[in-house]
Amino acid sequence: MIDLEFMINTVSLGSLYALLSLGLVFVYGILKLVNFAYGEYLMVAGYAMYVLGTFTGVPWYATLVLAVLTAALVSYLTELVAFRPVRTKSLTAMLVTSFAVSVFLQNVVLITISSRSRAVRFPSFFSQTITLGDATVPLRNLMIIAITIILLTALTLVMKKTVLGMAMRAAADRFTTTRLMGVPANLVISAAFLISGTLAGVVSIFWVSRSASVDPLIGMAPLLIAFIATVMGGMHSLVGAVIGGFVYGLLFNVLSITLPASLISYRDAFMFVIVILFLLFRPEGIWKGGYTEERVG
Amino acid sequence: MRQGIQAPGWLAKRSTVWILLVPMVAVAGLLQLFASSLVVDIYTQFCVNLMIVLALQAFMGNSGILPFTHVGWMGIGAYASGILSMAPMVKSLGVPNMYPVLVAVQVPIPVAIVLGGVVAALVAALIGWPLMRLSNAVGVITLFATLIVMHVVMTQWDNVTNGPRTFFGLQKFTTLWIAVIGAAIVLYVVHWYRESSPGLRLRASRDDRYAAMAVGINVVQVRYIGFVFSALLAGMAGGLWAHLITSFSPKAFYILEMFVLLAMLVIGGQGSVSGAFLGTAIVTAARQFLLQVEAGINNSGALTLEVFGLTDIVMAIFMVVVLIWRPNGIVGGREFTWPLFRRRMKPAADGATGSQQT
Amino acid sequence: MLTIENLTASYGAITALHGISLEVGEGELVALLGSNGAGKSTTLKSICGLLRPGQGTIRFLGEDIAGRAPEVILKKGISMVPEGREIFGGLTVEENLRLGAFTSYQRDRYRTDLDEMFALFPILKERFTQAGGLLSGGEQQMLAIARALMSHPKLLMLDEPSLGLSPTMTDSIFELISDLRDRGTTILLVEQNAERALEIVDRAYLLTTGSIEFSGTPDELKRRVDIASVYFGGEDDGTCEVRL
Repeated sequence: MIDLEFMINTVSLGSLYALLSLGLVFVYGILKLVNFAYGEYLMVAGYAMYVLGTFTGVPWYATLVLAVLTAALVSYLTELVAFRPVRTKSLTAMLVTSFAVSVFLQNVVLITISSRSRAVRFPSFFSQTITLGDATVPLRNLMIIAITIILLTALTLVMKKTVLGMAMRAAADRFTTTRLMGVPANLVISAAFLISGTLAGVVSIFWVSRSASVDPLIGMAPLLIAFIATVMGGMHSLVGAVIGGFVYGLLFNVLSITLPASLISYRDAFMFVIVILFLLFRPEGIWKGGYTEERVG
Repeated sequence: MRQGIQAPGWLAKRSTVWILLVPMVAVAGLLQLFASSLVVDIYTQFCVNLMIVLALQAFMGNSGILPFTHVGWMGIGAYASGILSMAPMVKSLGVPNMYPVLVAVQVPIPVAIVLGGVVAALVAALIGWPLMRLSNAVGVITLFATLIVMHVVMTQWDNVTNGPRTFFGLQKFTTLWIAVIGAAIVLYVVHWYRESSPGLRLRASRDDRYAAMAVGINVVQVRYIGFVFSALLAGMAGGLWAHLITSFSPKAFYILEMFVLLAMLVIGGQGSVSGAFLGTAIVTAARQFLLQVEAGINNSGALTLEVFGLTDIVMAIFMVVVLIWRPNGIVGGREFTWPLFRRRMKPAADGATGSQQT
Repeated sequence: MLTIENLTASYGAITALHGISLEVGEGELVALLGSNGAGKSTTLKSICGLLRPGQGTIRFLGEDIAGRAPEVILKKGISMVPEGREIFGGLTVEENLRLGAFTSYQRDRYRTDLDEMFALFPILKERFTQAGGLLSGGEQQMLAIARALMSHPKLLMLDEPSLGLSPTMTDSIFELISDLRDRGTTILLVEQNAERALEIVDRAYLLTTGSIEFSGTPDELKRRVDIASVYFGGEDDGTCEVRL
């Protein structure tokens, strides 16, 4: 069972989940907000691809870029309009706000487009497969791995080498003291939401391309994956989120091939139960990380 | 001290309950006499919602933990009470794959509703302890994941729930007055719990977990008690709900419905029974109004598209506005007490200057 | 330089400052003394913008800065070394210092500033690429001070710099503070170790439960030692280092 094909597909799935978790943790790390609207950034990017691909003559590469930008923009706007005013209030207020934002975005799409799913066009190479030795893998899976390597490298550089990156790491560690350094609170928080939205947008491309369709509830499954992967990997560091994504991808693929067919519909439930049990023994996740629980005030 | 009419001790001690209860019963009486059956139905629905939201307040308001599982307890109560109360004939028609044991059993509806609550409480008791150990983000996410697991089980276990399909054939049992009495009991019990020893200890753990631990409060234990208690009430309320609606599917116990319950509690103010009451009233009324508007627009044909979802959009905006304007809800964590509005005389925390700046 | 008049501040329903007034002149080293909960940290947080004060004015170089955002106040020239040092543990010493220069960064000056910090705190040069969290308490305090100095403050505020340090380390921190004053930096110092603070400061204010109880030179304050000891000793919870 453990052949090259399995490995490539697992690494690919893990990469996708790693990007997904990373986007969630970027905001969590700084704002301590579990953002329930995160899946909706992904959905919005999906609809951007649908609208641009169906009603305009924009070339496919521009469509993909614009879709990612749309997700980043929507993420930024939700911060500006909804999260910023409640940021200093209770943590529950912020959590509930993110829930409301999620419901809001879903229903806006429901009203303006449709509750039914819409077909999204992708260039044909998205659905091609290639043969490597005795393994036949979708080209898409290799693209995911490549994009993930590029993005993780770029983000590492930004976080390590730029002042904004340092400020974001500092803010995740000690938010108040970071402000004492003269770093505007809104700057790091907006940056976190922009990165979060960008990652959601990139994941959206590959997520939507699997079924080549988008519907208002498409954000739900990736949101859950990001949740579970981050708590499993550790919510207090970016590294933990990436590890969590890969472990989740592995666990998912292993369960997919080992569970008997009659239980496959319970696969998600199994995943959650495994993770909940794991958290009982290690509530801080696989990777402990250094961030404190300090609240943004 | 402001002087009001001196209330007797038993009245003063539970004055919040009476202040809420008297108008609730009075309105029910007036509706019974003068209103159309549609309005009576809406009010009955309000009373059932009130029970569920009060049960949510009992845990969330006192512990500060957002229990996404709450709508699941309601669902368990609904399914369990339905299975227990329906005639074997009806069950074998409605749920063809149901386990024979479950088909055979039948108890009177009130017993079934109470047992529905017990089943929900048992499930909560079974899974609650580990969940209550987790705090903050991990706790939130784990409770959310637990709701998903409950939903997966409800949609997949078609020997019990008829799977994702509609579960139907329940008798209508919940009348206006049964709902009013149920709401009154839950109102009293939740208010009692808030002031009881486990309730007070739970509130202490909410305000400062470490300080509470330092004075010897077993935080996990008081949370666990509140969690199971809340599930018991929600399960029974779910049973009453099921015997009002008479047919439902797992969709009724999922994220969007949880959002509505949360909106009711948060808009009114999660910190108090009065907040839960007011929020449920406002949101129920607002939703009814918006649903009418939505139906009006769709039926008039004024727009070519149908505007499903408008209600939820307005609710979402309303909720965020309330949270910005009054983060602790309209009531702001206080209870109505006799004499009314005494504590409003001095505007307290709102004018606070020490809030952390941003 | 800094003039505070009738400043009030509260946390929710609890009032922490009941209209205090104080002044720090150019080049002065002024201490703010008092027991736990007297409002010393609240005063500093109000000045640096972390806390929005209620009433009153905070004038710095003639301009009212009360209620401005921390980044604005920092740019005006007030820098703070927070209580407990608050080093970014996951960042290197270098990165901590770089963030200290966040608002005032200029490539050429940054280099010379770093060299100046290395001259003041040679240990930071040795630890330059290490994570801040790996430094000892005293080294972290030095880093915190260096980080605050990187923005070229006109007024430096220190919140309990000797807290949790060994006596030797406390000595060198106090030595350093008076050195900084001698080099022309205006300093507002919050200390529980009143005895040590009074040795180096020009003037001191004594805060008790949100009000200024006394102000004057160290000698004047020491003459009223019996009164002071009531306030220092009376509400002492046994953990702080008040000796007077």
